[in-house]
Amino acid sequence: MAEEVNIICTFCGSVCDDVQFDLEKFKGKKFCKLGSSKFSKKERIKAPMIDGKEVSYEEAIEKAAEILVNAKRPLLYGWASTVNEAIRLGVLLTEKVRGVYDQCASVCHAPGTLALIEEGVPGGSLGEIKNRADMVVFWGSNPMEAHPRHPVRYSVRAKGLLIKDRKDRKVVVVDVRKTKSANMADLFIQIKPGYDYPVLSALRAIIKGEEDAVPEEVGGVKKEQLKELAEMMKSAKYGAVLYGLGVTQSRGRDRNVENAIKLIQLLNRYTRWIIWPMRGHYNVVGAGEVPAWEAGYTYAIDFSRGYPRFSPGEFSANEILQRGDCDAALIIASDPAAHFPKVSVKHLKKIPVIQIDPFPNMTTLLSDVVIPSAVAGLEAEGTAYRMDGIPFRVKKIVDTEYWSDEKILELMLEKVNELQR
Amino acid sequence: MLHIKNGIVIDPKNGIDAEKMDIFVKNGKIVEESEVKGDVKVIDASNKLVVAGGFDMHAHIAGSKINVGREMRPEEMRTVRLVAGKFRASIGRVLLTSPAIGYEYAKMGYTSAFEAAQPPVGALHTHEELDAIPMIDKAALPVFGNWHFVLKYVAEKNWEKLRTFIAWAIERTKGFGVKVVNPGGVEAWMYGGNCKSLDDEVPGFGVTPREIITALIQETENLNLSHSVHLHCNNLGTPGNYETTIESMKLASKFSNDRRQVLHVTHVQFNAYSGSSWRDVGSGAAEIAKYVNSVDNITIDMGQPIFGHATAMTGDAPFQFTLHKLTGARWSNKDSEIEGGAGIVPIGYLPKNPIHALQWAIGLELGLLVDSDKVVLSTDYPNGGPFTEYPYIMAMLMSRKMREKELERVSPYVQKATGLAAIDREKTLFEVIQMTRSLPARVMGLDSKGHLGFGADADIAIYNFDPLTVDVTNDFETVYKVFKTSAYTIKGGEIIAMNGELVKEVWGRTFWVDATSKVEMEAIESDLDEMFSKYYSLERQNYGVEESWIKKPERLVMG
Amino acid sequence: MLILKPKFDFEISVEAEITPALALATDEEISNYQVYYGKDKAKLSDLFEISREGDDAKLLLDGDFSKVKWIGARMDEGEIVVKGDIGDHCGAYMTGGKIVVEGNALDWIGAEMKGGEIEVNGNVRNYVGCAYWGNMTGMTGGKITVKGNAGNYIGEKMGGGEIEIMGDTGDFVGTEMKDGTIVIHGNCGFVGGDMKGGTIKIKGNFELVPGFRKVEDGFEGDVNAGGKGKVLQL
Repeated sequence: MAEEVNIICTFCGSVCDDVQFDLEKFKGKKFCKLGSSKFSKKERIKAPMIDGKEVSYEEAIEKAAEILVNAKRPLLYGWASTVNEAIRLGVLLTEKVRGVYDQCASVCHAPGTLALIEEGVPGGSLGEIKNRADMVVFWGSNPMEAHPRHPVRYSVRAKGLLIKDRKDRKVVVVDVRKTKSANMADLFIQIKPGYDYPVLSALRAIIKGEEDAVPEEVGGVKKEQLKELAEMMKSAKYGAVLYGLGVTQSRGRDRNVENAIKLIQLLNRYTRWIIWPMRGHYNVVGAGEVPAWEAGYTYAIDFSRGYPRFSPGEFSANEILQRGDCDAALIIASDPAAHFPKVSVKHLKKIPVIQIDPFPNMTTLLSDVVIPSAVAGLEAEGTAYRMDGIPFRVKKIVDTEYWSDEKILELMLEKVNELQR
Repeated sequence: MLHIKNGIVIDPKNGIDAEKMDIFVKNGKIVEESEVKGDVKVIDASNKLVVAGGFDMHAHIAGSKINVGREMRPEEMRTVRLVAGKFRASIGRVLLTSPAIGYEYAKMGYTSAFEAAQPPVGALHTHEELDAIPMIDKAALPVFGNWHFVLKYVAEKNWEKLRTFIAWAIERTKGFGVKVVNPGGVEAWMYGGNCKSLDDEVPGFGVTPREIITALIQETENLNLSHSVHLHCNNLGTPGNYETTIESMKLASKFSNDRRQVLHVTHVQFNAYSGSSWRDVGSGAAEIAKYVNSVDNITIDMGQPIFGHATAMTGDAPFQFTLHKLTGARWSNKDSEIEGGAGIVPIGYLPKNPIHALQWAIGLELGLLVDSDKVVLSTDYPNGGPFTEYPYIMAMLMSRKMREKELERVSPYVQKATGLAAIDREKTLFEVIQMTRSLPARVMGLDSKGHLGFGADADIAIYNFDPLTVDVTNDFETVYKVFKTSAYTIKGGEIIAMNGELVKEVWGRTFWVDATSKVEMEAIESDLDEMFSKYYSLERQNYGVEESWIKKPERLVMG
Repeated sequence: MLILKPKFDFEISVEAEITPALALATDEEISNYQVYYGKDKAKLSDLFEISREGDDAKLLLDGDFSKVKWIGARMDEGEIVVKGDIGDHCGAYMTGGKIVVEGNALDWIGAEMKGGEIEVNGNVRNYVGCAYWGNMTGMTGGKITVKGNAGNYIGEKMGGGEIEIMGDTGDFVGTEMKDGTIVIHGNCGFVGGDMKGGTIKIKGNFELVPGFRKVEDGFEGDVNAGGKGKVLQL
């Protein structure tokens, strides 16, 4: 009989923990497309390499340590697709080499972090949405494509304490185009690209009873429709706004989220509402939480003076690369060569780059030291935080020759200590 | 091995009040002189005070609340305490990073601190942060008072299941005891409400805070856990709430335990207001003190505000929203599965603000009027402010002169609304040591902590002053300064800090309580399966924390 | 007057918290003045050629200073002239004196400044006169003049003083502004969100966010913040 084990999926921020994995067939039940593609037999980086030549783990790690110690200002970036234990070592390593720690949020959901600084975040766990939310608004988020099982497990069709049926819940999608997710909505509101901020201001004014200060059309939406949405929100018993990159990575960014949070603050004077980001990578939350307790901040952290300082737009990876403001980089569990603008990639090509990743990607091609690692959740265990901050211990279910990120970074930290002595 | 020579020892648990004695340490424990032979390090403690390491039994030092606090308040993180080198970089004004928390406690002569509210589903996060705090011993109290299992079993009056569930939950969260925060009120918050009186009905369950508190005391006592129920009362932060507090205390009257209290009421300052509105609010501290002193089964801690910056963070989500509406400050909230919630709001205490001054005075009244074997010194860090100002509270309790001086700079409203100015009482050094060492250890049920008797953990603080010559009522400035940084802090027999400088980084233990052998898990198996599949968003098999995931766990088996 | 010239093209950014007061120090003090070059602490003379002309409290920064941060931060008097571009945080927290940047400036120019004057002949980027993250109030006094264009976030949480942009600006002009004046001669994006007080005058086109009411001479709002801020057409 084939052996089936429970695994916790380490692809997206939904961190589905109900997957049964058949070790013999190497296939999981209940996976979505994204999950099953991660947990299939994919091309791997074969062995550690220095300048394209295969070497031992120890040699590659020693070389990496040398690069980091010799740099004036190394950038250590990525972290969203590894476990907390590795992230913690990464923060300690960055502090040791007095470099800059940054993580993938800085190019996706960091504006939400900035909004948190401005206003706090009135939120709730996914279970509370499933149990109580009689209205869910997906704002600039597209779960059907980015978090395929989110609607079933937590939000749209999930049943719980007070919500016994899909009919008990109103689902609204607000976006600039009719996405796949819009098809499952009871109401779709299309706004003009870049006009989230004024639409949110208008909703606040209407709910506050100051609708005369709202023009007849805002961001391509008629005032009547905004009034309808405002009324729906006010009469919900427990509502949730779940926002995505459409809000954080378009015109307005952090101010959009801040405005949405102010809307939620206001709604809580009448009824209960929460707001939460639809985080992408499975442990992008951990990549912010761990540095917060170790060093006070979640991303864009500079240690050049021997203590942490925070300045997004100054210490965030893309900004640093664009300005040519680092002289070495360690890239872990991320592919900036594929996703960053040309000018950033150009600088990466100029400086020594160390990569730690299970899989080859564009960044591998420009890396001087490549260190392959085990896949967390399959070949290595560790802690990861679901998008709502709920911690899970992801599992090791198969043996591997590959070292875990944790083991690689532990040795790298040791080597750095030796070199600095 | 250590030989601490000629120190002036105060050890309330063992009845030692400023006696010149030697203390011997071997293998992390305090031992008899005869056991220490050979290579012994001698510490000359002549003319110095020698006491057990401080024990902070109620602080928010780890987990999602303090971390969201850090994330929402970068302005708190810009104070640099230590540049990275031999030790980690250490930063923070009142909110500190994990390394900073351990370092600052150690520098002050504190060697244990317990996280006072652990959201059960986030237990692993709390333990990760506890594991990131160096220097001290620690533990965490999971929160029970709004957990649907508890509400359900109280409604069904199924005490066996409630008891079994408590044992299950503490084991799963690797927790230490039963914390209760605004019982029923946080569940009501999910509908936009609250439970302000003990008889308000909790929506959906038909139970009341009165029933929840009583049942949790009853079953905690039936399990005879190390620590009693640890209660954050209903109606926090509201004028007139002292009556709710006394009423809640009375729920303990039919229970007793010869080892310890059966109910610990926490940060009582926030629950000790008289009056009917913020206009006529006053102090209910005297009434509370009178009640606490009249019974022998209740302890409290102060929740003393310190003038300056603070961050309110509690599992009392509806109160946090009220605070946000009151001050307009940033507000974070987290509704958490079917377990309760939490909120975070930045605050500050200004001496000239009548309400803040009132809160400050009430905290001190409680510290002065309640017997020293019943009141623990706390700021409810970071709700009342920094724990690094404990020496301020110690000095204030011991010196009327200092209080008179401080009263001059605070709002005169205090004179009218509290009895602080008229209190002559000055606590002795012995009493203050009791309130920071032996009492919190007894409240938590830890025999090896808070004293210097044989067999105790060698957690020792030595301070640069001689209690036989220093006049604590007049030399309050010296007292304050001396307690800010120890001459030596010894943790588990190792010197970790000296004269305010860190000497060695050590990693303390995480205590957790295992009462599972006292129940039959079978009683709740099917309920667990059902509730998880229906109401949780994660699998039962993936819930909880294994001991092997914790850096230095120490299991306390309840016999 | 103290004249500084970069000795070489800086590989990475330099943090040099220098103010005109430095011109009054001894040669040795100036030469040894500590600056940061990545993780390395450096002496001012390691990175810059230093010369003097006269002994007034004036700094002349000659060359490309676009990778040099914190110039003129916390200065209280004297003058700084930057011949080329300047990096982040120029004139942050300043209380007095004058900074003239002949080229462009990066982010956070005049952040939380309380007094004094900053003039930029070229363009500036984001966060002009803003509050640092987590702080409640941006600039409270003094004046920032930009002859070119500005980026996003201009005078957020401003509590006083004046910002004048001769060219165009991006979004979020005067967001959560409490007092003071912002003048934009060109076009701009979103204006006035959660404005509580103060005045914004704009010559070109702009997008006023919902929450303002038409009053005699312009608009008043933001009603969402219970605000009485004024947005006027120049």
